[in-house]
Amino acid sequence: MSYNQRKLQSKSGSIAAYSAMVYIVVIFFSILAIIPFWYMFMNATWDSFNVSSRFILWPNFKNPGQLFTNWKNLQERATFSFAVGFKNSFIISISTTILSTYFSALTAYGLTIYQFKGRKTLFTLIIGVMMVPTAVNITGFYRLMLAMGLLGTKWPLILPAIAAPSTVFFIKQFLDSAFSLEIVEAARIDGAGEFFTFNRICLPLMIPAIATQGIFAFLGSWNNFFAPSILLNRTENKTLPLMVAQLYGDRFVDYGMIYLGLSASIVPVIIVYVFMQRFIIQGVAAGGVKE
Amino acid sequence: MARGTYQGTKHKAMSYTKFGYIFIAPFVIVYCLFSLYPLLTTFWYTGANMKSTTAEFWGFSDKEVYYDEYLDLTQYYDDIEASVGIPQQDYMKIRNFFSAQSAADQYEPLYAEGIQALINNGEISQATRDQLQQSLDNNDISYLSEDGYNELKTWKGGFTDLELTITGQLGSLNTKLTSIVSPESTGEEEETTDEITAEDILSSDSYAEFIATLEAGEFDEGQQLLINYLTEKSGADSLAAYFSDESVSVEDPMFYYICANLNSPKAKDAEGENIGSITVPFMTNLETYLMKNTWPTTISSLNSYSNLEGYSDGSIDLHSGEETLYADLETLESMGLLTNSVQLVADGETLVPESDVSTNVLYAMREFIDSNYQSDDVKIMSAMQISKLSSYLDTMGRAVLKGQGVEVDKYITFNGDFDVNKYNAFKTEIGLKDVLTMDKYEELDEGYKQMIVAAAQEVVAEYEPQLAPAEQALAAAEASGDEAAIKEANETLASVRNKISRAQADIKTPAGLLSKVNAKSEYIFVGFDNFANIFSNKVRRDTVFGSFVTTAVMWIIGFIPQVVLSLLLSAWFTDTKLHLKGLNLMKALMYLPNVITAVTVAIFFRKIFAYTSGGSVSASQIVLHFFGKEEGYNFFENPWATRLIVCFVNFWMWYGNTMIILIAGITSISTSLYESAQIDGANSVQTYFRITLPLLRPILLFLMVTSLIGGLQMYDIPMNINMNPALINFNGTMIKSTRTVLIYINQQAFGMQDAKQVGIAASVSIILFVVTTILSVCIFYLLRDKDAAKAAKEKKLARKAGAGR
Repeated sequence: MSYNQRKLQSKSGSIAAYSAMVYIVVIFFSILAIIPFWYMFMNATWDSFNVSSRFILWPNFKNPGQLFTNWKNLQERATFSFAVGFKNSFIISISTTILSTYFSALTAYGLTIYQFKGRKTLFTLIIGVMMVPTAVNITGFYRLMLAMGLLGTKWPLILPAIAAPSTVFFIKQFLDSAFSLEIVEAARIDGAGEFFTFNRICLPLMIPAIATQGIFAFLGSWNNFFAPSILLNRTENKTLPLMVAQLYGDRFVDYGMIYLGLSASIVPVIIVYVFMQRFIIQGVAAGGVKE
Repeated sequence: MARGTYQGTKHKAMSYTKFGYIFIAPFVIVYCLFSLYPLLTTFWYTGANMKSTTAEFWGFSDKEVYYDEYLDLTQYYDDIEASVGIPQQDYMKIRNFFSAQSAADQYEPLYAEGIQALINNGEISQATRDQLQQSLDNNDISYLSEDGYNELKTWKGGFTDLELTITGQLGSLNTKLTSIVSPESTGEEEETTDEITAEDILSSDSYAEFIATLEAGEFDEGQQLLINYLTEKSGADSLAAYFSDESVSVEDPMFYYICANLNSPKAKDAEGENIGSITVPFMTNLETYLMKNTWPTTISSLNSYSNLEGYSDGSIDLHSGEETLYADLETLESMGLLTNSVQLVADGETLVPESDVSTNVLYAMREFIDSNYQSDDVKIMSAMQISKLSSYLDTMGRAVLKGQGVEVDKYITFNGDFDVNKYNAFKTEIGLKDVLTMDKYEELDEGYKQMIVAAAQEVVAEYEPQLAPAEQALAAAEASGDEAAIKEANETLASVRNKISRAQADIKTPAGLLSKVNAKSEYIFVGFDNFANIFSNKVRRDTVFGSFVTTAVMWIIGFIPQVVLSLLLSAWFTDTKLHLKGLNLMKALMYLPNVITAVTVAIFFRKIFAYTSGGSVSASQIVLHFFGKEEGYNFFENPWATRLIVCFVNFWMWYGNTMIILIAGITSISTSLYESAQIDGANSVQTYFRITLPLLRPILLFLMVTSLIGGLQMYDIPMNINMNPALINFNGTMIKSTRTVLIYINQQAFGMQDAKQVGIAASVSIILFVVTTILSVCIFYLLRDKDAAKAAKEKKLARKAGAGR
């Protein structure tokens, strides 16, 4: 009895020690994931001298006005304009999100509801091209945009969003599992046209899938660097990542200003993330489990 | 289908299918236009001639400006005023503008870091520094006044010879060595010529001829001094004996040293006159051979090579590794690669290297070490920047325009993006906007064609009468049977026919003036030459496959710890015994780096790991100082350190993502499996390795393939973390340590101004496409509905069996 008790006690003791260790490791990695952002935000409030002489992880309470000084300095840089970058990024990302979700929903719906010839082949093709990166055809794409006279405009970054194979794939998965054809039938009996049925009846039902895919489309477009870096060349057209890429320069730099610029560029993303993280994490999890 | 159950909809259902086509039409059209068509054209461009790309190919949208820039009319007309109708002086303004603009592009006079160094330089007056700040802010150099610029020049004039040598010579040495080590990085692409072997050089006629010259020994006094000096260095009895020695090797550094010093001596005789050269006839072949075979490896093995750029622009303190640098300079000297920086002077009967810091970089370096000279990076950087400014401000073109009262600086663009509006404003100011127009160019083109036709008609008129006599001469020669006469008559006839047919072709399709520059942008199909070039040219092959290997290496070093950690974390998060609290918060925190703009992350880590010896110090250096490493450590100078930083960033951005997918995978495993395992008395470790891990295998495979495909597209982070990464040896060629495939493609297609290589870029894209397609096929089989596939297979088998019966 006493032996067993001891064994139990030691076992629970070892579990406590084990879980303490697990907590330490898990918390360590949670902190590791955010500490750079914390460091970035905190240092944005300090002047360059303090940033480059101490390892600072706390805000500048002594001189809160430094934040505004840094902001002023940032605005004076010829190559970095937060307002312009934000506006461009916002227009491109929002348009991309709307186009890619609406047309992907339309395509997925078309593939699910209508029994037309070759739809299986088409779906197979969509899965097939899902992984083909857009970057490999950049030479041809650039020449095409040149021929169409769209170079230097936002269109080359927006229009291709209409054909987003992976979004189609995920919305189709959603429709296959959680959508009943009877709704469509009922609408038809009530005399609704096909487009009306889709826009007014089915689209609202697809919101959960559309929301998840929309967030990913938004983030992907917001963070995109490769294509804009090739297709946009004038300062007034540049997106935020392109502006940020100009915040280099390793010597004689105003660190406070640079960190403020970096922080400013990710604030919109962090806001989206804070409100949408549940959807995002569900979306990631759903994307991985395909069995 | 439920549809059929409704009354009367059977036939209507058929008509609905057309909506299927309508609904998917936007997707299909956009996909074909924006993805498929560019992909096919990329395939097509793999056959593009390597030299067939100019500004026009890449979208120089304004043709008029394009012609203004590239079509130099003075080359085609002796008298511009008479032929074009524009005074020579006015037309030259355009040429001067473009020469000033190209100087601005080349030397980046408003290079931000350099200007910043000048602004921080306390030895320069506040007024000038303010002007520089304004120039930098407005991206317009005209804010810098004449007086300000003169002050800068005067300040630089106060430099000692030692400082000038260190700032100047190390810089040019760096440029020279880089062009040897990685010709592709400087845009010099060698043609695929026939390989020269050492045997070719040693057995050539010119080599024997050279030995004969040496043996004859007919040299003047100064040359004799030089020969004596070199003979002593070689250790042979005479130079002729050294070269005719059977065991002589062209790869021996001494061999090139002697040849280089003979061919272009930088030596003075007793009277202080320059010693004349003794031509080495096989010099070009020797240099080509060494350039391909020995130099790149030798140079890249120098300890200070990757630091050289930093030394020359002041970003690395010369006192770190000074003796190594000196030793390396000595090596270069013994290889004959410093011939232009080391002056030899006569000292009595022999030559000795001159001990003057202004001409001898070796002496300057020695002097520098011995005198314990304090290098000041603000000062060196400022000096470099003043050179850049003067490379633009003192250009001929700009000076001429200034002299004519044209405010040229207002119209030049300094950030590399040519601004057509600014140029048009310039053209208006000089009064040529409405004169030299597209119509004008077309008119000139037409006129030029007529000129060609007229000239060709003259040729025809001249040679046609000769055709009949030539034919008769041939007939006569054939009749006589004289071999030599037949041959001669044949040749005459052929040349006459040739001239006539060429002239007739000119009359039929005369080449106009505009085709002089347009021809460059025509697509010339070369078939699979680009692929052949990638696989056969060693430097090319190494750089292309080096970039694939770099990408793969950086992916795998980031991926392994990422998966290991994610497996551990996901096991803990799903362990019911542990029952961790705050799971959702932790998941959210760990996933956060994945959604953040990769460029921001890269620039952030670049800042964190930056190495600076001057004013501002980065976080990593602060930490190193704290742990007592006073001099800090330059991470980006070490290729592997740079790669590891990229790997760490990738790891850090992706472990949350991997973990969430694995958690989802583990929770989807049926709990009954665990329950039965528990009943059988399995402990948690056994359960994990016997149940969880095997069942996670497909998910792990999925993760690996998607991550690899994503990893092959690695661009943002390596591109932004360090734009000039340290070089690393790959198979004998020095390649940039963090240059991934996409960076390579981007550089080939859009990078270098005059040497864009669309064919190579497209070919590498296609190789990347093939690799990803293969991986996508793997994914496709993973994602395939297994039960459906099995059912289909059974059905097929059943059908087969049925047919068999």
